Amino acid sequence: MTMRKRLLGWLADAALILYFLFALFPIAWMVILSLKPTNELFSTYFSFSPTLDGYRTVLGDSEGIPFVRFFVNSLVVSLGAVALSLLVGLPAAYASARWRFKGSENLMFTLLSFRFAPELTVIIPLFVLYQKLGLFDTYVGMVWVLQLVTLPLTVWIMRSYFADLTPELEQAALLDGYTRKQAFVRVALPLVKPGVAAVSLLAFIFAWNNFVFPLILTSNEAQTVTVGALSFLGGDRPKYNLTAAAALVSVVPPLLLALTIQRYLVRGLSFGAVKS
Amino acid sequence: MTELELRELRKTYRARGRPPVDAVRGIDLTLRSGELLGLLGPSGCGKSTTLRMIAGLETVTGGDILVGGSSVVSRPAQQRNIGVAFENYALYPPLTVAENLAFGLKARKRADRGDVARKVREIADRVDLTTILDAHPAGLSSGQKQRVSLARALIREPDVLLLDEPLSHLDAAQRDTTRRELKRIQRDLGHTTILVTHDQEEALSLADRIAVMKDGMIQQLGTPYEIYDTPANVFVADFVGEPAINLLPAVTTADGHARLSDTARLALPVPLAAGREVMLGIRPEDLSLAGEEEGLPARVVAHEPLLESGIATVTLPGVDNPLAVLTAPEVRLAHDDRVHITADPGLTHVFDAETGDSLR
Repeated sequence: MTMRKRLLGWLADAALILYFLFALFPIAWMVILSLKPTNELFSTYFSFSPTLDGYRTVLGDSEGIPFVRFFVNSLVVSLGAVALSLLVGLPAAYASARWRFKGSENLMFTLLSFRFAPELTVIIPLFVLYQKLGLFDTYVGMVWVLQLVTLPLTVWIMRSYFADLTPELEQAALLDGYTRKQAFVRVALPLVKPGVAAVSLLAFIFAWNNFVFPLILTSNEAQTVTVGALSFLGGDRPKYNLTAAAALVSVVPPLLLALTIQRYLVRGLSFGAVKS
Repeated sequence: MTELELRELRKTYRARGRPPVDAVRGIDLTLRSGELLGLLGPSGCGKSTTLRMIAGLETVTGGDILVGGSSVVSRPAQQRNIGVAFENYALYPPLTVAENLAFGLKARKRADRGDVARKVREIADRVDLTTILDAHPAGLSSGQKQRVSLARALIREPDVLLLDEPLSHLDAAQRDTTRRELKRIQRDLGHTTILVTHDQEEALSLADRIAVMKDGMIQQLGTPYEIYDTPANVFVADFVGEPAINLLPAVTTADGHARLSDTARLALPVPLAAGREVMLGIRPEDLSLAGEEEGLPARVVAHEPLLESGIATVTLPGVDNPLAVLTAPEVRLAHDDRVHITADPGLTHVFDAETGDSLR
């Protein structure tokens, strides 16, 4: 019995290690690729003379590709999208958690449907609209269109956080003489901080990783890293090492963000699962 | 201090696609200044809805609420000056006890800081919180949380105090001390108070008067003794009293008795016309074991010795419902023992079998 149990444990460990290798392999491959000098790019051997030239090229804006600007664009657009989503989404989530009103469920479902409608179905009309409205290739335009991704996420996740709060806390505040708005800002909002942290990170990652919108709705001024990293594949011959370096650089912000708010994150992401 | 009056208060919940629900159907109540009234009833009887309407957390469908003689129904909760101690305490977790108490005062801008601190100290003294002022709610016992919740409701000096199931989350020992504390504080400060509870013990021990509610209506309003000694109907008789009253269907006879079965008869407390179907109500403590000549023969089903007294469950021949009989501490009974029981006719309650109303 114990023998069998131990064997099963080993098997499980082995399977996990295999999966771990499988999942990590593309990243390891990219790291190797990014460290290769251009002339050794197509050698299939693992032995090569590693160099940081790829990173220098990417961050030095050589090759005529303003990668640093793409990077800044991504930051501005993603943070802007998260900020707008929080600004609009937190009150919306609170309202939908606390009140049933005519059409409230339909409204919530419509919001959710933005998430399962493929972006490609709306991208052509959006392209035409953006051209006409002067939003094409602008920060405002990108922040706006990313709401399709980040706002439903924010509203739906935060809604369950607010729903889990007992309304008695806010009611007690009302009886004390606080206004509805004060009860929201001073009582409800501070209690869902872990949720706000989790949802901000998720929304940031979704916004940062978005590809289709910047691909079609930007050209140069507001282009983001997801599209920008691909620029290194163009030209006379594809520079895979630069693409890999660019991709790895663009992983840094979401990673840093996740590490800084890790404290909230574990609580935040498991919030709905473990009820007090 | 302040009188509270409910006039024809009604609440109907309407949801699309569902029949409307009458949660509260016309309640009339007047609380004298400083009175503690218990609103007692099973869950879903409308007592919490009534409380929420008084507080202003629920809109009113019909009727009026008067605090100190002036109607408050058109005012939002913020402008009613009513204190509520919530069932789940509603303490703000990130704040300390002192900050929780001060939080309630800060909504009104006029209170300056020294004033707030002084009031917090005063109320903490009253409600015995001085030692835990710097603690966070998470570290408090339920009894302490309940006292903080009460202090929070009281610190604003409300016109009316509402207590929502104040003792329901406390364990037995804390319940006793907190109950005494509640009564003392309410007496000291003299707030007109409504206590909402489903627990008869809580209502009986704390309230000056009790309103027993069922289906959105008040079934009986009276002092604890009136409710207990002369229940207005079967529901009140059954709901108040522990162990519960014995209810026995019977038919009246020409000689002033009620026939329970072919062999079992009990004397009626009031003369009634013969052949009437009634429901007899006899509290377990009003039944006693008797000698062979006087009582009704019965068989013991079970006996629970509870040290200071015991409860015997017995059956009468031909009667379906078993009876609970309170026994003296020295009584020892076993399953299948034969006993005789008697009931004091003066303490027997008789209700109309159809309507359930008292016929006394």
